[in-house]
Amino acid sequence: MDIDDVKARAGPREFSPSDDLPLEYREAATRMLEFHANSEVMGGYLDKEFTRMAPSLDRKLACTAKCQDEIGHAQLLYRAAETLGVKTREEMLADLTNGDGKFLNCFHYPVDSWYEAPMIDFFVDGAAMRRQATLKDTSWEPYAHAMDKVCFEEGFHVKHGEDILRELMTSSKANQERTQEVFEDWWPRMLQFFGPTNDESTHNDFAQQVGLKTVSNDELRNSFLNMYMPKAEKYGLEIPESPRIFERDDGTMAVREDDLDWDEFWTIAKNDFEGSHEQIGSRRRRQEAVEWVRESMTDWETAGADSPQAAD
Amino acid sequence: MIWEVFRQEEAGDRHTHCGNVHAPDREMALLFAQIQHGRRMQTNSLWVAPSDEIGEVDADETEFGGTTDKSYRWAITYNEIDASFAEEVAESEAEQEEAAEKRGDV
Repeated sequence: MDIDDVKARAGPREFSPSDDLPLEYREAATRMLEFHANSEVMGGYLDKEFTRMAPSLDRKLACTAKCQDEIGHAQLLYRAAETLGVKTREEMLADLTNGDGKFLNCFHYPVDSWYEAPMIDFFVDGAAMRRQATLKDTSWEPYAHAMDKVCFEEGFHVKHGEDILRELMTSSKANQERTQEVFEDWWPRMLQFFGPTNDESTHNDFAQQVGLKTVSNDELRNSFLNMYMPKAEKYGLEIPESPRIFERDDGTMAVREDDLDWDEFWTIAKNDFEGSHEQIGSRRRRQEAVEWVRESMTDWETAGADSPQAAD
Repeated sequence: MIWEVFRQEEAGDRHTHCGNVHAPDREMALLFAQIQHGRRMQTNSLWVAPSDEIGEVDADETEFGGTTDKSYRWAITYNEIDASFAEEVAESEAEQEEAAEKRGDV
């Protein structure tokens, strides 16, 4: 198949590992899947901070379950990426460790309080789920299959996240004020979650032409805004004055993108933000700390292959 | 030699187990699978795998999902929250509810 055939055939779940796909498609799909998988890993690492901060046993249990889900999603996505034959799972994980692997902007900001839990678990996860639901119709079949399972699980994350927000915003005045404070930090980051406008996004057009993406960044950001802004207001959060939000002719809301800090966004995109170094470094150190577990598993496997008796 | 057969009805579906065939090798297994399992039922693709290569664990040997109360990991637990504002959240919750019914939890 050449790239024109791919564009002509592009549709939901159209291509599978048995198709002979051009390198350009396989590279684009790998880039998307690797980014997505890396984001699940880094999101999981960020989220695990909340287990310690959570104020009750129920919340701690839910936080651990969520981290377990996220790391599981990463495994599914690395597998779906690996089937494209461009990069192995080991290569992708190694790149994430050495700082070459890219991941979502929101996971480059270290968290240090429980008030940030609903920012990640409700708003960022809600944004992620908006996007993931549209990827059930991606043209790379293994990606779509991974999304079926991911979306099945994510409903719990978003509802649990909203429940934390509800709890905080119906408790003491001090809690409400602190939640508002962190919301003001997180709000512009959330709006940048979907990336820049379509004409500035380099990979967007091709990804849509070959059916990897079915909805544009702009459409996703605007639908997120129209669903989640009323939610913030419902719980008494005030929307910051900047970035400016305006009403479009059709009555839906949109954001003035010039008000967002794109220098910071592009620094993050290069893994060069202060928080990027911190998050990537902290994951690397944890990986090193449990290296002995992986080694012992490899030893076990190798020993088993040579002589089955030795494993007993 | 016995080969397990997995059929995919339409492009994009998962391959699901549909039966098995006797065959001396993979090539013959694929041929017999087509004849036995791909002729009448709608088929887009078939997989075959040697029966011996398939591992199994069943409900007699383990408690799937663990033995402790894990309701905290289900969307339906957070019933003070209305999921209907976002179609994908509502859909996820509906799928979880269906799974809970099948497990016999509700």
